[in-house]
Amino acid sequence: MTSGSGDGGSVLLRVDGVGKTYVSRERTVQALAGIDLAVRDGEFVSVVGPSGGGKTTLLKIVAGLLPATAGEVVLGGRRVTEPPAELGIVFQEYGRSLFAWKTVRENVELPLRQRRTPKAERRALVDEALEAVGLDGVGTAYPWQLSGGMQQRVAIARAIAYRPRLLLMDEPFSAVDAQTRGDLEDLLARLWRRYAITVLFITHDIDEAVYLSERVVVLGSAPAAVRAEIAVDLPAERDQLSTRSDPRFAELRAQVYAQIRRPPADAGPVASASIRQETVTT
Amino acid sequence: MTARRSRALAGARGVGYALGLPVVLLALWWVAGDGSANIFLPSLREILDAFGRVWFSDVFVHDVVPSLWRLAAGYGAALLAGVAAGYVIGRWAVVRALASPALAYFRVLPAPVIIPVLLVAVGIGDTTKLIVIAFGALWPILLNTADGVRGVDEVTLETAAAYRLTGWARHRLVLRAASPQIFAGARQALGVAIILMVVSEMLMSTDGLGFTVIQFQRTFAFPEMWSGVLLLGVLGFVLAKLFELVERYALRWHRGLTGRQEGSS
Repeated sequence: MTSGSGDGGSVLLRVDGVGKTYVSRERTVQALAGIDLAVRDGEFVSVVGPSGGGKTTLLKIVAGLLPATAGEVVLGGRRVTEPPAELGIVFQEYGRSLFAWKTVRENVELPLRQRRTPKAERRALVDEALEAVGLDGVGTAYPWQLSGGMQQRVAIARAIAYRPRLLLMDEPFSAVDAQTRGDLEDLLARLWRRYAITVLFITHDIDEAVYLSERVVVLGSAPAAVRAEIAVDLPAERDQLSTRSDPRFAELRAQVYAQIRRPPADAGPVASASIRQETVTT
Repeated sequence: MTARRSRALAGARGVGYALGLPVVLLALWWVAGDGSANIFLPSLREILDAFGRVWFSDVFVHDVVPSLWRLAAGYGAALLAGVAAGYVIGRWAVVRALASPALAYFRVLPAPVIIPVLLVAVGIGDTTKLIVIAFGALWPILLNTADGVRGVDEVTLETAAAYRLTGWARHRLVLRAASPQIFAGARQALGVAIILMVVSEMLMSTDGLGFTVIQFQRTFAFPEMWSGVLLLGVLGFVLAKLFELVERYALRWHRGLTGRQEGSS
């Protein structure tokens, strides 16, 4: 593995046998079937899987927004039962996640206010976060006055200003156009390095997962379990053009793709173990 | 220069449109009613004459001010109670299930019907009038608040929860998100409150606008009676405009938001 920040770090997030079964009067649906996952301090980990495969359910359980029906989530040594402090979150639906009645600045500032950060420090944090996402100068605008990509930058700035130990992102770039998406991916990669945040990134886009991450976790279709973990041994400095045309990038994305498409029938612990073996040796 | 001038022109045109029809109607009334021999339908000249005589005197202090005070107190109480109860009903499904049948009953109950009940139970004082006004104005506010609170976006709530916005911060957030609907209810309630102010004063009062108009009618002072009708219309119009100003300011974010969505779709 080449990207240094994650190596040897202590485990920040541990997901231990987390299962989720929705029970209603008509039927019982198992969304997650025992997910095991560990994310080290400073690591960038993506979770990919088919749509409707329980990725978002997993994210909500990790965020403490939804109780698991089996297993547990431990963040920084503490069991998650409610949204933990120092957790940043970015949803796909920026238009609904940002508070429409607050200006850009107030949106970024609100979690800090709630945390009772002193005013001067708060101002500095907000200024820096807006600058970091390239939005200095639009603080007094309302989110809806901005383009979709810029709105998602506001949501990212809000998370950054909060100085989270863990940043959860749920398909954050799925609702913007391709050009903007590339820009936002590169922005996120820069911020990850600049602030040494730990990122758990949910996406259905294999290319995006490989491009951004140090490690890709593949979930199967519902009830989802971890099918494989694939280490991304691409150079730490990544670039939309050269990285995506790197033969190794193509190999990795093919590996991930094969894991997702693998029929559930031969999804056994043996296959999963062999993949893990492979990632260690590469 | 030209931009300012065209804006001034547009403003003048707006005022022209707003005042055009009322001015024409008043002029028609003035001309058609002039020299009217019918004592029940006096001419506009007489009515305006009476208007100045009646309302720009101590009647204003003795009758208009008490009316406005009752309206403000009753409406204010309805706002507080309606938003608080609507919030609780909108937020918790259990409360909603418990309250729904009673709400369905009270929302269709015509508010003036409680006047005889209150006359017996509470008496003829100001309290009765305040209760009538507040009771009638409560339901539109309560039901709209409950709807608005219930409909607050789930992603908004999850974001708030993830950033640990709990307690008062969360209540404020939910109310703010529901404020467009709360304002819709409050606007409706303002009209109801004015109606109930007049009705309650007509039925059980010794002062106030409603009482004065009835009094003029009973003493065959018809121009004066008509001037009271005119004043109530003006009052309703001014209050509606004031409400609009407050709403515009409080919901400026929402107007822009919905305007953009409509524009881009």
